[in-house]
Amino acid sequence: MERGLAIRVRGLVAGYGREVILQGIDFDVPRGRVFVILGGSGCGKTTLLQHLIGLLDPIAGTIDIDERGAPDLTRGLPGFGVSFQSGALFGSMTLLENVALPLRRWSGLPLPAIDELAAARLRLVGLAGYEHHLPSAVSGGMQKRAGIARALAMEPSMLFLDEPAAGLDPVNAVELDDLLLSLRDRLGVTTVLVTHELPSIFRIADDCIMLDKEAKGIIASGDPKALKTESSDPRVHAFFNRLPRTR
Amino acid sequence: MVALHLSGSCHLEDAPRLWTRLGESASPNETITLDLSEVESLDGACAALILAWIREAPARGGRVELVGARAGCAEMLELYGCSDDEACGAAPQLKVGTFDQIGRVTVEILRSTRDVFAFVGDLIANLRKAVLARRSINWRDVPHLMERAGADGAPIVLLINFLVGLIVGLQSAYQLQKFGASVFVADAVGLSMSRELGPLMTAIVVAGRSGAAYAAELGTMRVNQEIDALWTLGLDPHRFLVFPRLVAMTLAVPLLTLGSVIVGILGGLFVAVGVLDLTPLAYLTELESAVGLNDLLGGLLKSAVFAVTITLISCQRGLATRGGAAGVGRSTTSAVVVILFFLVVLDTLFTVTYNFLGI
Repeated sequence: MERGLAIRVRGLVAGYGREVILQGIDFDVPRGRVFVILGGSGCGKTTLLQHLIGLLDPIAGTIDIDERGAPDLTRGLPGFGVSFQSGALFGSMTLLENVALPLRRWSGLPLPAIDELAAARLRLVGLAGYEHHLPSAVSGGMQKRAGIARALAMEPSMLFLDEPAAGLDPVNAVELDDLLLSLRDRLGVTTVLVTHELPSIFRIADDCIMLDKEAKGIIASGDPKALKTESSDPRVHAFFNRLPRTR
Repeated sequence: MVALHLSGSCHLEDAPRLWTRLGESASPNETITLDLSEVESLDGACAALILAWIREAPARGGRVELVGARAGCAEMLELYGCSDDEACGAAPQLKVGTFDQIGRVTVEILRSTRDVFAFVGDLIANLRKAVLARRSINWRDVPHLMERAGADGAPIVLLINFLVGLIVGLQSAYQLQKFGASVFVADAVGLSMSRELGPLMTAIVVAGRSGAAYAAELGTMRVNQEIDALWTLGLDPHRFLVFPRLVAMTLAVPLLTLGSVIVGILGGLFVAVGVLDLTPLAYLTELESAVGLNDLLGGLLKSAVFAVTITLISCQRGLATRGGAAGVGRSTTSAVVVILFFLVVLDTLFTVTYNFLGI
């Protein structure tokens, strides 16, 4: 694997069991970049993300994460943070306890320090004052931000975020964009995002790949701003310019 | 060639009549022409039903040609996918026959059994790692889980077992009275409660309460991606969710069973004193001579095995949940049914083994 690459994917055939959702997937994600996976509903974005983080095994092909090969979640802390589409917070724990959970297991810090650290992560995503709320007592957008705080808990060098801005109000969405840019610029965090939010894509994405359901693969890749203006593919043009599909 | 003509307005309130008429007109192996030229307006419901009927035609060996739709109707049909040849001509779902269903259910049962055994295998493999890294087990949840499975379930478990003791006492009292052997009611109640009914009835109630709750809880966590989140936080769901439940249930269920045996025997005492006019001392003296420590320990061992079975099956079913809220419901039902089946099978094996060993 080339130095400077955070992720390298070659010949990936992705799917569930024998059902192929994507095939012939090749791409690289350089370190310290914001990389966006985009495409229409049902095109396999989340499936690809699940393969990248090791929740699903490839049907064929290779995934190399951080020069350590394919992620193996059974070996302990994977070295990256993941924020799920639904937030995936543990309902019986407060927001603070959710964020503190990986710290309790892996940090070796005393409990007061863990709580301080977890509270700081929540402040980072704008959830100061909500530390002792249960997930059911806060909005969906807040749950999502708490999920991001939990993904950041162990200072990962890489973040995977599934639809982080969906359901957020415009102000919170922009603040989330700023946070991701800040993590990239100050800490060199590599971020892989699955999203549909065009304003967010144009603002923060360094590179992107676009997936297509019919093609079962990548139909465009590169800088999203360039793709918007330069792509001659009608599917890419329709996506970036918010045009309806031709029937 | 059969020609069908629709006319007037065709809206949701007309849909049942439309569906019936279309069904009646669906003669096999024929080409039907559906003429919509006199339809003034067509809403989405009727458009969708007409298209569904057209898609089913090949399964009947026939074909439907749609003709004469006015602009408004054509737009509505197009909205529901008629302009798309693939959608209009999509293969209908084949009807599943009885043998096919039997085959599918058999495969499903075999797959479930394989999944349960695979899960137990994973868990045993994990146990060694968990022993080496005891911090990786979520011990914090054990007291709370014990409280939920044990203390919270105690009132209903004890009430049911008291009533079971009462019933066994009454049933045997009527028979024993005929032979003037009333005092042996203590033997019947004591032995059946300690060896058989105490552990089994307790396990059945625990399966309905805690087993169903575990399957639903873990199933909901699965569909909410919380299980995936645990993996990505470096926390093994087996150690974080299953082991604490296993420990809590293995401790709580034998304790509940002990309580059940005691209240069941009390139920028998009520019958002995109230119906048979025995003294409490006579009942307890006979009980002491009839029920040994082996009987009690055998029952408690059985209840510990039942507890492990309930936990493993409910957790496996929960973690294998797919498909949203309906999937959680399916997992919960399946967990309770499979647990009850295994409880009875295990109870039979225990009884045969104890008899064989002379315990």
